[in-house]
Amino acid sequence: MESELLRLNGILWSVFRMAERSWLLRPQVAENALTHIQNTVLRLEEVEIPLLEDTVPAYDSLLLTFGSKDINLQKILQSIKESNDNTRRNFKSHEIKICYDLGLDWNEVENKTNLSKEEIISIHTSTQYSIAMFGFLPGFMFLEGLDQRIWVPRKDNPRTKVDSGSVGIGGEQTGIYSLESPGGWQIIGRTPDQFFDINNKTPTNFTAGDIITFRKISSKEFESLEKNNG
Amino acid sequence: MAKLTVKDGGLFTTIQDIGRVGYRKYGIPVSGVMDVYSYKKANYLVGNAENDPVLECTLKGGKYQFDSDAVIALTGAVMNPSIEGSKIEMNTSVLIKKGETLDLGFAEKGCRCYLAIRGEWVIDRILGSCSTFVIGKFGGLKGSELKEEDVIVWKNKKNSFEGRVLEKTEIPYFSSKITVEFVPGPEWDMLTDHLKKQFLTTSFKVSSKSNRMGIRLETNDPLIIKMSDMKSSGTIPGIIQLPPNGLPIILMKDGQTIGGYPRIGKILEVHLSRLAQLPPNGSVKFKKVRF
Repeated sequence: MESELLRLNGILWSVFRMAERSWLLRPQVAENALTHIQNTVLRLEEVEIPLLEDTVPAYDSLLLTFGSKDINLQKILQSIKESNDNTRRNFKSHEIKICYDLGLDWNEVENKTNLSKEEIISIHTSTQYSIAMFGFLPGFMFLEGLDQRIWVPRKDNPRTKVDSGSVGIGGEQTGIYSLESPGGWQIIGRTPDQFFDINNKTPTNFTAGDIITFRKISSKEFESLEKNNG
Repeated sequence: MAKLTVKDGGLFTTIQDIGRVGYRKYGIPVSGVMDVYSYKKANYLVGNAENDPVLECTLKGGKYQFDSDAVIALTGAVMNPSIEGSKIEMNTSVLIKKGETLDLGFAEKGCRCYLAIRGEWVIDRILGSCSTFVIGKFGGLKGSELKEEDVIVWKNKKNSFEGRVLEKTEIPYFSSKITVEFVPGPEWDMLTDHLKKQFLTTSFKVSSKSNRMGIRLETNDPLIIKMSDMKSSGTIPGIIQLPPNGLPIILMKDGQTIGGYPRIGKILEVHLSRLAQLPPNGSVKFKKVRF
């Protein structure tokens, strides 16, 4: 592919022009691509690049879309003074309550992992995750760090409706459905927490890179918390 | 306040404007009108701002009873609109009287028709836009397509208005067979030379499952490629995805923000309006260009 190399935030990136106004950047690093991508998104936001309309961070790529097609990407990126600090930024930590009794796919998850529900819950709650990205739908959070023992393939037949707050396992990832939507992940529980509000200018105070842990709650607790949410 | 009542929402009618820009990192698509060209002309014809909301009607337009006098205009897909049974013209401003009902009929050519109403629409803005995103259940009226008895309210403009009409040359011809230009996408080279050639020579059929998320294409000879492990990565409207079944999908305004299917190309922005007007069973061919 016709891509060039550019320097940004301390590392080299391959740059591919994907559309009139969009460029796809991939960090040229052997490891920790995600951390570099997330640090760079924060850096781009700090320096407020003119005409930068949209950033879409993903696992191994960062898509930048501008408000005009007549921009000189190289010049723009060169103007960003490199931050000397390339260690992991201080991302926020969040604890998310989860009621595993509201899981819908326990039979399948137990069968495919050869573990009991209790063992799976213990593994799921004792792991630290980080938000890899948001998407494919509003507020859907992809979490990295799922223990290999509880990797389970997606469902053969996706559900047409998954409740908001559902926590699922899809292959080697775990994720949270912020809004009710269709979905193919194995649902192992539900959270009463609400972390996505479309009526706020910043719809969530979660950022890609933030640390997530899960705390188990009972169905009773879930119900009372959900009632409080109105 | 002026208003209209929806008597029949048609097949799929939503309130749209230019969309919500800058929220893809939260998984929120841009939404907004599918045919930007016709949309801007509709607002021009009623003297509204270029990015004011309109109704986007799909194939069957619906019926609307006006509870106030209004200046309206219709652009885009060629429907057979009438007021109280009398045919009216498209692509011009039209006066509708209090109590009268506008019936948009069916699309004869094209797929999406735009109804602009002169005035300032009273619609909550979500992240800066009135656009309806039905999958996310937000925007427009309660995040839904229009239903019978829904009410749209607007404030009349104070100044007088003479009325406008489009020049013949400003009105697109909506062919059901089109060719659109694309640039190769990041995964174009996942296609073998044989499949590249096939992609460039096939006339794809538009599936009836197409919607505001994506235009789904059909062919008797799917383009099956060897999938290597690909991590989900950013998308934008106009991206041509190739899923494992070999049938391309062109992502449109409500399309997902990231995807795990090879992005074999990106349709040039200037062709997206024409693509939005392709009805089911219409056909599309692709022409490769460079920036």
